[in-house]
Amino acid sequence: MDAKLHVKDLHKSFGDLQVLRDMNFSVAEHEFVAIVGPSGCGKTTLLRIIAGIETPDSGAVIIDGNPIKGPGADRGFVFQQDSLLPWRTIWKNLVFGLEVNGRLNETNLADAKKLLQIVGLSGFEQFYPNQISGGMRQRVNLARALALNPEVLIMDEPFSALDAQTREMMQLELLHIWQRGRKTVLFITHQIDEAVFLADRIVVLGRRPGWVKEIIPIELPRPRELSVKRTASFGAYVDQVWNLIENDVRASIVEDAQLPTV
Amino acid sequence: MARTERSAAAGAGVADKAGPATANNRGKLRKSSALYWTSVASVIGGLLLWELAGRFIVKKALFLTTPTQIVEATIQLIAAGELQQHVIASGSEFVIGLVLAIVLGIGIGFAMASDKYAKRALGPWVAAFYATPTIAISPLIILWAGIGIWSKVIVVVINAVFPMIINTEAGLRSTDKQLVEAARCFGCSRLQVFWKVSLPSAVPFLFAGMKLAIGRGLVAVVVAELFGSREGLGFLLLQASDAFNMPLLFVSVVILAISGMVLTWLVGAVERLLMPWRYTSEQE
Repeated sequence: MDAKLHVKDLHKSFGDLQVLRDMNFSVAEHEFVAIVGPSGCGKTTLLRIIAGIETPDSGAVIIDGNPIKGPGADRGFVFQQDSLLPWRTIWKNLVFGLEVNGRLNETNLADAKKLLQIVGLSGFEQFYPNQISGGMRQRVNLARALALNPEVLIMDEPFSALDAQTREMMQLELLHIWQRGRKTVLFITHQIDEAVFLADRIVVLGRRPGWVKEIIPIELPRPRELSVKRTASFGAYVDQVWNLIENDVRASIVEDAQLPTV
Repeated sequence: MARTERSAAAGAGVADKAGPATANNRGKLRKSSALYWTSVASVIGGLLLWELAGRFIVKKALFLTTPTQIVEATIQLIAAGELQQHVIASGSEFVIGLVLAIVLGIGIGFAMASDKYAKRALGPWVAAFYATPTIAISPLIILWAGIGIWSKVIVVVINAVFPMIINTEAGLRSTDKQLVEAARCFGCSRLQVFWKVSLPSAVPFLFAGMKLAIGRGLVAVVVAELFGSREGLGFLLLQASDAFNMPLLFVSVVILAISGMVLTWLVGAVERLLMPWRYTSEQE
């Protein structure tokens, strides 16, 4: 399998604190890979390295055979809902990536318009982010990343701030949108069921330092509907992932509880 | 209408917001007009009480001049062409000083927000001067720069620049780190981050700074003129008080009060124009 995105031998420390240790995994073209890990698994650092705004101590992030050297439009990012610029309208937010990369041409703008339609927000161009709901904001975020037509779509806990019902709807919609173009996706989440529902493979991380514990292929048939979440095999996958990270999560909770006394 | 339909189509969490929002706005409108009339009634009532007190209780214009006497004095002064001259004199001192203070304030505030050495070097001075009534050194400034327009401009600047510096710095510093990070992931250069993220997010702080600067600047102009000038509203004030001409004194005071109100309102209007996103929220 040819890797679209290859995270290769990444090491990173901040002073004495080792954050990533020998991290290795890859995402094939058109593949949907989810990363799940307890807090302290170094996912923020990993993300910053993939974005090109942090450099690893050793190792590389390789896209289409080329090691990345900084931020670039070959990666599109979807963050938590508050990453839209509040003073820009939905439309201006949508084309933000195109604007800063000097790609505001007619073709791209027409595509952006189409994207807005795909995420169900045509007609909301002139609204400001504070005028629409959290779920709608996340659609804009998704469309903003897709507008650059990136090689790889990187999603950082995009639905974590949404309420449970909206989150389920958004997961389903994301799958529908993904099914159309089959972008290569790297999806970071805390929700195990979200990862199982969305991904082709799950990369399970360990903590302190972050390392790849196991990579689990999810062989649930596609297209998936929400009903798949109630099947036995779905539950088995969730259990499998949970068992892998349970002790780590416990450790992180104890550690967090101790933090204030430090 | 079209919007409500779309919201419904767009799904969870939206439909319930579009409906109540419009009704809510209507309620707000009624409320704000009632609030508006409360202000008007308060001002008219206050003026009326003042007039009556001046006519029937105090009677002596020296101790309590009435609104009608002030209006008469104003008309006379305009007819003589004097008022215009004073207003223009003070106005230009104020405007030049304010513009300089805003430009300097944003520049220095930016330097302090972006460079920690600049912050360390300038910080103590800014903190000290912000808390000091710098108006107290006006006589010295007039001694240095003469009784013409420039001494007043300098006094305005040293009074108005500090709130501008402090607000600019605070605004640039308070930029949401998540937004900056997101912008950098999208490939923004440092310069683009400044223009497209930090500066717009600091705009509300800049306006807050401007409102403070206006207030301080107006006081500065008048006080500086009191200490030495040939024209201007402060000069008029001084003349009137030397002659115990209270209606004339109040002409100056009233014009200053109105200028303060108009300028603050003007800044508010520009604010709403430049920052529509802050005034269109339908979700409190």
